[in-house]
Amino acid sequence: MRISTLLARNLTWYWRTNLAVLLGVATASGVLGGALLVGDSVRASLRDLVLARLGDTDYVVARNGFFREELAASFGSARPIIAVSGMVAHPASGRRALGVQIYGVDGRFGAAPEGQQILLTAALAAELGAKAGDALLARVEKPSAIPLESLHGRKDDTGKTIRLTLGGAAAREFSLNPQQGDVRAAFVPLALLQRQLGEVGKVNTILVTGGGAPDLRAATLADLGIKIRTLANSLSVETDTTLVSDALAERVTAGAKSLGLNTQPILTYLANGIRANGREIPYSLVTALVTAPGAEDGITLNEWAARDLNAKPGDAVWLDYYVWQSDGRLHTESAQFRLAHVVPIAGAAADRDYAPEYPGITESNSLHDWDPPFPLDLHRVRPADEQYWKQYRATPKAFISLARGQQLWGTRFGKLTSIRVSPPSPKFAAALRAAIDPAQMGLSVIPVKARGLAASQGATDFGEYFVYFSFFLMVSALLLTGLFFKLGIEQRMREIGVLRALGFSMAKIRTLFLLEGAALAVAGSLAGVAGALAYGELMVFGLRTWWMGAVSTRLISLHPSLASLAMGAMAGIVTGLATIAWTLRKLEPVTPRGLLAGDMTRGSPKRGLLMGISAAILAFGMLGAAMLGALDQTAGFFGAGTLLLIAALTLQYALLKRRSSAMIGGWAGLALRNAAWRPGRSILCIAQIACATFLIVSVDAFRQTGDSAGTGGYPLMAESVLPLIHDPNTAAGREALNIPPLADVQFIPFRLRPGDDASCLNLYQPRNPRILAPPAAFTRNAHFAFADSVPRTANPWLLLDTPLAGGAVPAIADANSMTYVLHLNLGEDFVLNGTRFQIVGALRDSLFQSELLISEKNFLRLFPDVEGYRFFLLSAPPQTAQAVSGTLEEALADYGFDIQTTEARLAGFHRVENTYLSTFRSLGALGLVLGTVGLAAILLRNVLERRRELALLRAVGYRPRHLAGLVLAENLLLLTMGLATGTVCALLAVAPAVSVRGGQFPVASLGLLLAAVLATGVGASLAATRAVWRSPLTAALRSE
Amino acid sequence: MSQIAKEYPTPRGPLSILSGVSFSLRRGNAAAIMGPSGAGKSTLLYILGGLERASSGTVTLDGREPFALSEKELAAFRNQSIGFIFQDHCLLPQCSVLENVLAPTLVAKDAAGAVDRARDLLTQVGLGDRLEHRPAELSGGEKQRVALARALINKPLLLLCDEPTGNLDQASADVVAALLLDLHRRQESILIVVTHSAELAGRFPLRYELRNANLHPAGA
Repeated sequence: MRISTLLARNLTWYWRTNLAVLLGVATASGVLGGALLVGDSVRASLRDLVLARLGDTDYVVARNGFFREELAASFGSARPIIAVSGMVAHPASGRRALGVQIYGVDGRFGAAPEGQQILLTAALAAELGAKAGDALLARVEKPSAIPLESLHGRKDDTGKTIRLTLGGAAAREFSLNPQQGDVRAAFVPLALLQRQLGEVGKVNTILVTGGGAPDLRAATLADLGIKIRTLANSLSVETDTTLVSDALAERVTAGAKSLGLNTQPILTYLANGIRANGREIPYSLVTALVTAPGAEDGITLNEWAARDLNAKPGDAVWLDYYVWQSDGRLHTESAQFRLAHVVPIAGAAADRDYAPEYPGITESNSLHDWDPPFPLDLHRVRPADEQYWKQYRATPKAFISLARGQQLWGTRFGKLTSIRVSPPSPKFAAALRAAIDPAQMGLSVIPVKARGLAASQGATDFGEYFVYFSFFLMVSALLLTGLFFKLGIEQRMREIGVLRALGFSMAKIRTLFLLEGAALAVAGSLAGVAGALAYGELMVFGLRTWWMGAVSTRLISLHPSLASLAMGAMAGIVTGLATIAWTLRKLEPVTPRGLLAGDMTRGSPKRGLLMGISAAILAFGMLGAAMLGALDQTAGFFGAGTLLLIAALTLQYALLKRRSSAMIGGWAGLALRNAAWRPGRSILCIAQIACATFLIVSVDAFRQTGDSAGTGGYPLMAESVLPLIHDPNTAAGREALNIPPLADVQFIPFRLRPGDDASCLNLYQPRNPRILAPPAAFTRNAHFAFADSVPRTANPWLLLDTPLAGGAVPAIADANSMTYVLHLNLGEDFVLNGTRFQIVGALRDSLFQSELLISEKNFLRLFPDVEGYRFFLLSAPPQTAQAVSGTLEEALADYGFDIQTTEARLAGFHRVENTYLSTFRSLGALGLVLGTVGLAAILLRNVLERRRELALLRAVGYRPRHLAGLVLAENLLLLTMGLATGTVCALLAVAPAVSVRGGQFPVASLGLLLAAVLATGVGASLAATRAVWRSPLTAALRSE
Repeated sequence: MSQIAKEYPTPRGPLSILSGVSFSLRRGNAAAIMGPSGAGKSTLLYILGGLERASSGTVTLDGREPFALSEKELAAFRNQSIGFIFQDHCLLPQCSVLENVLAPTLVAKDAAGAVDRARDLLTQVGLGDRLEHRPAELSGGEKQRVALARALINKPLLLLCDEPTGNLDQASADVVAALLLDLHRRQESILIVVTHSAELAGRFPLRYELRNANLHPAGA
């Protein structure tokens, strides 16, 4: 005989107890493995979605503007498409879908629509309620090379509506951006979209498959929006935007220099009027040159202008001009000059090509034909002016210094309109192209697949969350494991005594039991692998159904991972063994004779009493500190909660020990005596129920309610698909936007750089978060509450304009998004697309959870190409808010203006948080169920151990109801102690948090849950009693 | 055993069970200790076997004081030098008859030839044909014979029996008692039996009575 034989005998002989232990370990291991599988599954599902939606697209070549479709040919397997954001309306139902991705595709993309057809993804078709053959209206932003927020940008007609017929469902759910929700996309014929947008032969996106990153060397200057005009003695470098950015200017200068060429920067602007001596010339072009003569305030007029103004050197000359300012308003400003020179219209002064091509102006035959995007008073135009235009076209009438011109008319888009390069060299174009990084001109390669796959790692580690959520379930399972193992040991006390009498040392016996435990832990963990798969599947099913609020998608499926299963199994073995070892420690103080008599140790209740009182004092100290704000509420909750539970359980342990020697009095006394017979068992049972109850009760107290503090006092918020350029707060802006007068309605317009949702609504890791920029007026009078800021200040919004050391851009984020989605800390730096940001303020539970906020000044510097306003907070009287919403949505329908209440927005975020709490509560309830199972097991064990006693009572005339009463009393006592302990401790622990946050308890549902647990316990008691009653009387009396 | 005393603490002060108990036995001696219930017979036996410490006094077996040993040494001492037989046999229900007898050899320093010896002992107690049976398949007397074989497997110097026939009918008790004495004689061990049974005690050459917390020669 060997130890292994004895082990095998023990394992099989006590198979019932061992099976229970094994199941306990299997449950703990399965729950942990399953929880980890949830994380794997969410990540893998997100990854699957990225791969399915991108198809074989690995890279995207994209630009804000349009470029040649033929460029795609240089990238091998590539498909040119147009990708724009827009809206689709279904006139028949009156429904409209905003924020739809609209793709212009042809056969190279796959199954493409033809003629006037549009194909919709299933989700979008369902949203619109549209079926094949229905007429649909697609509206997209009309491309404009000229910045809308510049004088020459066309602001009155920024969108294009196309009437199409629904051809059916799109063949694939294509999406370039990682998103877990349904794809809302529409596909229209590429050629049709090109025609409608006035970009025939051009696209803004190329999908590239396979190979390395596409090489953009094939992109021409024209693809980058750069034009080189060949003039008589020079080349003129211009852009589609009519403005030359600083970066391009620097490249042009460098390129020219490399060939030994000269450059002359030029800024030409339209003056509404040139005034002097009481005379005025309307609508004249003025050019700013480095070589313009005169001092800073000097101006040179050509002879025609000087004559018309009757001006002579030294006279004061005024220029009146429009400036489109970033607040969405057209301002008329004036600048005074001193006439320095009068030059003949000859040579450089007769150059018609200083001005770039302004649509609606430079190609017109007369001033009366001008169609500029700003107000023009043609009554001011005189025949002489028409004559000048006819004879000299865009020849400037005045010249000023470049420095002064840039001071007056420089914009964020550029401070030059062209750069002259002389002498004209045939090599210059190639040199310039070589010097330019296409990314500087907005043409970039985006590794969409790699980025999507990286983002699919997720912002939230669901594995970690579900480990937390399942924690009490695991604890319950381990408590059950310990409980069953303890029962097994108690059952074998005499055996241990015999072994000791036979010469087995305590260490040897403990090793023997540990080996048994190890075998059970290993077997349990292996069984737990199957359990993990089942639990993982259940949790994933839960995420698809009951807890869909947390993930906003049904497209999550189980993806088993060997690593998680192994980790769950290993953790099961370790925790199972630890629990068993912890149970075995109790054996030490028992004498061999005690063991032979079947006794467990009987320690003094004093230690428990002392420990309980100490824990209670500490707990109440922490609660007091949390109430007074000296301790963080979360730390207060966890610290005080744990200590309260320890205090309550140890005090009850001491009570049970004391009662074991007290006199029996009535059913309650008898129940107490029975519970006190094995105080360890009873306390484990109470602990299990108390922990689960604590969890359930406290979780409900943290449920988010309709708190309106995060709305900042603004009842409404809006987003628009097309940017609003005009300020809707001014009469002119409202007129331009066609908004009727609305009493007491104020718009707070925010600039918006679209990007990844940084809130809990997005499962993907936001690599490129949305960025909002509030106007300066808002930051001065902001209403939102902050969780914290660095440095702490009365109005952290003002920190957005504070320069930071190292040049980081100050940013504000919602505290929840910052912590749980972006995984950043206050004051921490992070880099987005090459720019370093620093979080200087954290908003408390605000509606700004999807984005980062930076100052408007920084926004315009970092994202000069992002124009207008797309995000708005609206203040309106509560009683008219709904009417205002309807009116504005209708008036701004062409912009895709969508209003929602700020409370609804917050509720959307809270729904996710509450779903997490529901998950936590549901799994806590499962832990409670396990606790009840443990209770039933203890009860049955107690009843079996006392079957002789109960049989004796039967023999002396006790009836079933008497026995039931006896068993029930003990069970009810333990149940009540567990439920009361958990509930009271939870209520005390959450008190500080609730007093501040104003949470509430769902008393009815909680009461129902606790009543259900009570009913289950009572049912188990009755079943145990019945089992005893049905067992043969004499056999029980004879048995040992 | 010299000046052994044993007291138990109670709420009303210490309860003295044994007081100044002294006696000595030589190899080959067999003694029966009698006394009323609660007199401390089993306590005395457990102290002798190193299972329970005395409040004072010393126990010496073959020149060794068990309670001066460490826990590990004491366990080895019990394993090698002492054999126990309890009233209710205390067999391991999960093990076969042979395995029960072999159980002490699992922690013995030298277990060579243990299986043969176990078979031999079981044959000697008349259970040579029941090696693979489980305790539940045996009668009370058979179980006690297995316990006897188990107690002797490591050839202990001291064999301690706590009411070995207490649960047996007369015939079985006679068989067990005869075997006990026979095997004791063959092994030349020291045999101490505590019993209520005057008949069993009558088979022993040395008989003591435990009363008033001390040991007295029977009949004295």
